[in-house]
Amino acid sequence: MSEQDNLEVESSEAKRRAQYKDRWNSFGVNPNILKISEKLSLEKLKEYELFQDFDDELLGKISPDISIATWKQNSVLFEEGTYLDLAFFIIKGNVEIFTSRRQEQAELSRPIFDLSRTVMMEPTASFKTGDGNGMGETILQSQVKKLQGGDSRTIFLSSVDVDLPVSGRIKLGPGEILGEIGAMSGWPQSVTARTATDCELLQIRVAALRKMKDESSALQKRLDQIYRQRSLASHLKTTPLLQKCDEAFIQALTQKVELIPLKPNKALFKEGDPVDALYLVRSGFIKLSQQFGEEPIVVTYLSKGMTLGEIELLLDDIEKWKFTATSAEYCDLVKISRADFRELVRKYPSVEKLLWETAVARIKETGSSKKNIGQAEFIQTALETGLVQGNSVLVIDLDTCTRCDDCVRGCADTHGGRPRFVREGDKYENFLITKACYHCRDPLCLVGCPTGAIRRANIGAVVEIEDSLCIGCTACAKNCPYDAIVMLDTGTAWTNDNAPADYLIGKARLLASKCDLCSHTNHGPACVNNCPHGCAFRVGSLEAFRQLLERN
Amino acid sequence: MAGKKLQRKPLKLWPRLRRWVESPDWLTVFLIATAACLLIYLLNAVFAEIRPYNWWGLTYGTLASILMAGAGLYAVRRRMVKTALSWRLGRNQTWLQFHLYGGTLALLLTLMHSGFRVPSGALDWWLWFLSLWVTASGILGVLLQKWIPKILTSGLAMEVVYERIPELINEIRGKSEQLIQTCADPVKDFYRKNIAVALVNTQPRLIYYVDVTGGIQSRLKQFEYLRRFLPSDEKDKLDRLELYYRTKLEIDAHYTLQKTMRWWMYTHVPLSLVLLILIGFHLFAVLYY
Repeated sequence: MSEQDNLEVESSEAKRRAQYKDRWNSFGVNPNILKISEKLSLEKLKEYELFQDFDDELLGKISPDISIATWKQNSVLFEEGTYLDLAFFIIKGNVEIFTSRRQEQAELSRPIFDLSRTVMMEPTASFKTGDGNGMGETILQSQVKKLQGGDSRTIFLSSVDVDLPVSGRIKLGPGEILGEIGAMSGWPQSVTARTATDCELLQIRVAALRKMKDESSALQKRLDQIYRQRSLASHLKTTPLLQKCDEAFIQALTQKVELIPLKPNKALFKEGDPVDALYLVRSGFIKLSQQFGEEPIVVTYLSKGMTLGEIELLLDDIEKWKFTATSAEYCDLVKISRADFRELVRKYPSVEKLLWETAVARIKETGSSKKNIGQAEFIQTALETGLVQGNSVLVIDLDTCTRCDDCVRGCADTHGGRPRFVREGDKYENFLITKACYHCRDPLCLVGCPTGAIRRANIGAVVEIEDSLCIGCTACAKNCPYDAIVMLDTGTAWTNDNAPADYLIGKARLLASKCDLCSHTNHGPACVNNCPHGCAFRVGSLEAFRQLLERN
Repeated sequence: MAGKKLQRKPLKLWPRLRRWVESPDWLTVFLIATAACLLIYLLNAVFAEIRPYNWWGLTYGTLASILMAGAGLYAVRRRMVKTALSWRLGRNQTWLQFHLYGGTLALLLTLMHSGFRVPSGALDWWLWFLSLWVTASGILGVLLQKWIPKILTSGLAMEVVYERIPELINEIRGKSEQLIQTCADPVKDFYRKNIAVALVNTQPRLIYYVDVTGGIQSRLKQFEYLRRFLPSDEKDKLDRLELYYRTKLEIDAHYTLQKTMRWWMYTHVPLSLVLLILIGFHLFAVLYY
């Protein structure tokens, strides 16, 4: 190869790196990436088994969200506690998965069946047989043993979709996928992944993952099968309900249960439908509502780890659901049939006691909601306004807010004169739930962005928009259920030089704008810091909001 | 969503007080400092005569000037948001608390500086008067800022950004005009005679200070009489018109009350600036002569 050729190759490589630098922001500037591909052709994608089920139209849509990157040995792909908006498919090399002490400490107080922190991996022959890493006893199994032995120092590794060996370290090889559930559920990772060798990885952003799952029942089945084979048994066994069950029973159950994915606002069942099963919520939120007069009222909602149907199955004379269960967002559930449930209760009488406790708690809560419409409305509001979704919701106490707009001014001054929110939104009691970005646990705005301009900042909880990549297509603004993204007119038009598509040339250049939690500054959110009366709060959970309400 | 209520526990005394006192720590420090100043002054008055120009008087005056200048820095902090945030100069709330308590304590020190006498010189008199005025207007501002937000929250369903009020009124007027084109003559007449004029611009009313809900409800009563004589489809239109009108009245209430909080600033800020300038003159005069 001549020197000229070498220069061209380098220049092309530099161009590709620059092109992907921002799109794959979390990784593009990472010096551990040796090489990153351009947009992959359909033919190239079809070389991988993962994409062979899809037609050209879909592949064309998802290809901008897929890249191939070559990583150096010993590069950290992601760390515990960080957020990923993509999954990795290993083409060549090995990736090591492990947990650190820090993580274990942090997990001590978490619930057992908590899928909030997940890493999903595809099984391979080597993995199934342990890959020489001593898969005899896994961390989850050892936890269960400790729990059964009444060890109060039990460490729970919640939401690890792979049973890590007690040594806390495994290797994944070609053909395996990791990060899928974390990306799809929008929850932080509970393990660290590091390349054990130089690795070639397919990086698939969450937008493409969702489309792939929606389009391909085969992929859905495959992922379900992986979950069933590798993780379901451990997850079932770490639910309080099934802790006392023996290994054989759990193993048998894993083959019988049904895994149910739900898109947002889909009914799992309706009031009056026959009761057929017990449901465990793997991820997402399920809203339970009952007809009250002419209007349905929300009696409660279920989040990950909670069960549904125990009352109906325990009481023989309840044959129909007394409420409607609807998904508030993307949800995953485990369905245990009535027959399996009966067998469970017959074989393990202690389970029945636990079920009764859960049932009584549910009856109390729904009863309270029906008696106290305010409680029901609070839950409804929380689901409608996204309070259950938000990692950081800006709420303003209107009882003390003097409407001075210093919060907005602080935001504007921090963002070049353009505020990222307006002091408007829904009111709940004396609180204004502003339309500043909630930084959702499952950010729907990320789905559908054609350039990857909207993403998790530095693989953290903050969702941000990279202005230089935004083409003003409005996809994120339309996808945001809470109207927290606005399109700004930049006052310029697309030209031949910068238009990403011909049809845009001459049209006004719009820019999506939203709160970035002042993540690029050395101070916290300016809105909160700049409020002179301390009436602006960032709440990260419904409980935090409830505490604010009760404080007043 | 207005009016939704979560069952709450009954409030105890301290949480009730905390709703009025933003920072109990600042209040405690202020009360201790005030008590200490008064005690020192009393002891001082027993043993020596206090004049503005003697050692004690000058000490009180110097402290008062420092506190006033410090309180005045709050205005600078508000105008230099980015610098204050990036230099981590503290939360705006902390600055405001210092502004409030420091400014009030400065008045006490000013009075101690003058020995609680009315000064005879023109400049001194103006300084004395402006200190009283600025502190009194500041306290009035605090009371307004505690009182008005509670009226706005308790009686109004909607929240309005003050600067957007003209735009919102235009929008309501446009929608109402559009709707009225489709209405029967009695509704049109009613609109022209009773409603149209109210949708032209903001209409501040004193009633909103006293009873914001009643102020709105009393105006909506006029719809009831007409409604009785209308067929159902016209009733629906009248309901929509009433909704627009109600929204406009709520905007008026916001305008009236929010404007009060904004206009209060004119009673406080310009004279505070004059006071600081006069303090500068006063210090120059003392040091020069």
